[in-house]
Amino acid sequence: MKTINLKINGRKRQIEIEENERLLDIIREGFHLTGTKEGCGEGECGACSVLLNGKLVNACMIMAFQAEDSEVITIEGLGENEKLDPIQQAFIDTGAVQCGFCTPGMVLSAKALLMKNPTPTKQEIRRGISGNLCRCTGYEKIVEAVELAAKRIAETD
Amino acid sequence: MAFKVIGENVLRVDGHTKVTGGAKYPADLALENMLYGKTLRSTKAHANFTIDTKKAENIHGVVGVLTAKDIPGKNCHGVLFKDHEAICESRVRRIGDPMAVVIAESERIAEKALESIEVAYEELAAVFDPEEAMKEEAPKIHGEDNTVFHFKIRRGNVDKAFEEAAVIVEDTYYTGAVDHAFLQPEAGIAYEEEDGTLTVIAATQYPHFDRMDIAGAMGMEEEEIRIINPAVGGAFGGREDLTLQIHLAVAAKKFKRPIKMVYDRKESFLAHCKRHPITMHCKTAADKDGKLLALKTRIVGDTGAYASWAVNVLRKAGVHITGPYEIPNVWVDSYAVYTNNPFAGAMRGFGATQPPIAHEQQMDRIAEKLGMDPFSIRRKNLFTLGSKTATEQVLRESVPLGRCLDALEAAMNEKPLPDENINYLEDLKERQAKKEGAWNEKNR
Repeated sequence: MKTINLKINGRKRQIEIEENERLLDIIREGFHLTGTKEGCGEGECGACSVLLNGKLVNACMIMAFQAEDSEVITIEGLGENEKLDPIQQAFIDTGAVQCGFCTPGMVLSAKALLMKNPTPTKQEIRRGISGNLCRCTGYEKIVEAVELAAKRIAETD
Repeated sequence: MAFKVIGENVLRVDGHTKVTGGAKYPADLALENMLYGKTLRSTKAHANFTIDTKKAENIHGVVGVLTAKDIPGKNCHGVLFKDHEAICESRVRRIGDPMAVVIAESERIAEKALESIEVAYEELAAVFDPEEAMKEEAPKIHGEDNTVFHFKIRRGNVDKAFEEAAVIVEDTYYTGAVDHAFLQPEAGIAYEEEDGTLTVIAATQYPHFDRMDIAGAMGMEEEEIRIINPAVGGAFGGREDLTLQIHLAVAAKKFKRPIKMVYDRKESFLAHCKRHPITMHCKTAADKDGKLLALKTRIVGDTGAYASWAVNVLRKAGVHITGPYEIPNVWVDSYAVYTNNPFAGAMRGFGATQPPIAHEQQMDRIAEKLGMDPFSIRRKNLFTLGSKTATEQVLRESVPLGRCLDALEAAMNEKPLPDENINYLEDLKERQAKKEGAWNEKNR
């Protein structure tokens, strides 16, 4: 047992962790933020993607203790108040959501991409989400959604 | 009448909850006072076994271990034939067959307790090749015959057509097993309501079938079982057969507490069906102008240890093996066969996906032999409005295959033909490396 401090979705939190717990376990079971999904448990599928200190990571590949004093953003931390992040809105508007299990990870992956590169080409979007699997195989719409989000963000800036 | 949905772009009703992470898949649910279940699965493909769960039961935090004797009703389930045991009693027929379910205060305790269950296997002769399995002397998986189903088409006179043909192409094609790998591994929760109703929450494709099989296994009326289908993280046919539903129901009733089970990816692979691997032997004949005359085919589908939808899948494969082409003389034998392999069932296409591997290669090779181009030979034989299929179905509605082929040809003509002097693989690698470098520079 060990107690760690971290900031999750903008709030300072303290949590007791086991040595063998993963960041994914404390997000889902400790903080009950179940929007972060477990698809494979070995860093293949990207369903557990979160932002750790602004960097996209698979939460199943990070030990909980490694998150000490870090800042974590999960899908629940996107958008402001009741307003969706433009990426989330674009996913709805383009029909980029099917079964939805990859969606939180996809959205965060797109977020990480657009933070670094606000005007990505189609190819760069594909590359940006290449760590996230969509088994409904709805990639075309997902790429469209990220393009639309980039366009909308550029228009409001 | 104006349509509100057809032809309109409609936003998904569940879009908002899914982009915000609010949608609840079964693994996201939790109830107070919950227990957790973990399944012990067979490591042998075909064996009799005895099981001793005492050590596991004595572990602190384990509340019990379910075995076949804990199933109160009929220990069987299945979408067509009830050939699955919910928990195997004394014999396993494939790697991954469920043999016991540990119920414990935490997932970790349940997982750990699996190691303390003692299993003694007596291995049986196994069969992994469906052709072998069809032979009389083959080990039997269920009952007296491993052939689950034989579908036949007898149309016209194939032998006569082969004699008159200008060209005959004959070969065997094989497609492998495929897993759906739906992104959300199986998970569920079950609990007993105050009035005795048993509620099972699990991502499923057939809540009504689930209810029927759970009722049968519980010895309860269907009205006493309630199935809740939460958000489903993909299925593609892989959630048509039951996996953990009966285990959850039995445990919830027995221990009078909510039970939760979540499979990891590895267990998910072991638990659900695969796409049927199918071997297709095809002999196809055409006249000198490329008009198809006859097809004689033998199709053998490996359904593994359980039938699941084998009958429907191998029937569909038998119907689709002609491809979308008019063939006056057709002879089809399509078989579904039990083996000790992972069981096969529904998956995207349901028996229609495998045959194109065979019939389209046959078409290309006939064209090659006749010196025709691949588009012309297909156009000459395509189904059109009014065509009769090999099963004598008259196509009376839209048959836009010709338009599809036109679009395909136009798209292919836009790209230049491959240059024999370029090593495309090396070229691709080079271009990818270049792109990667540029991407890294821009985004890292």
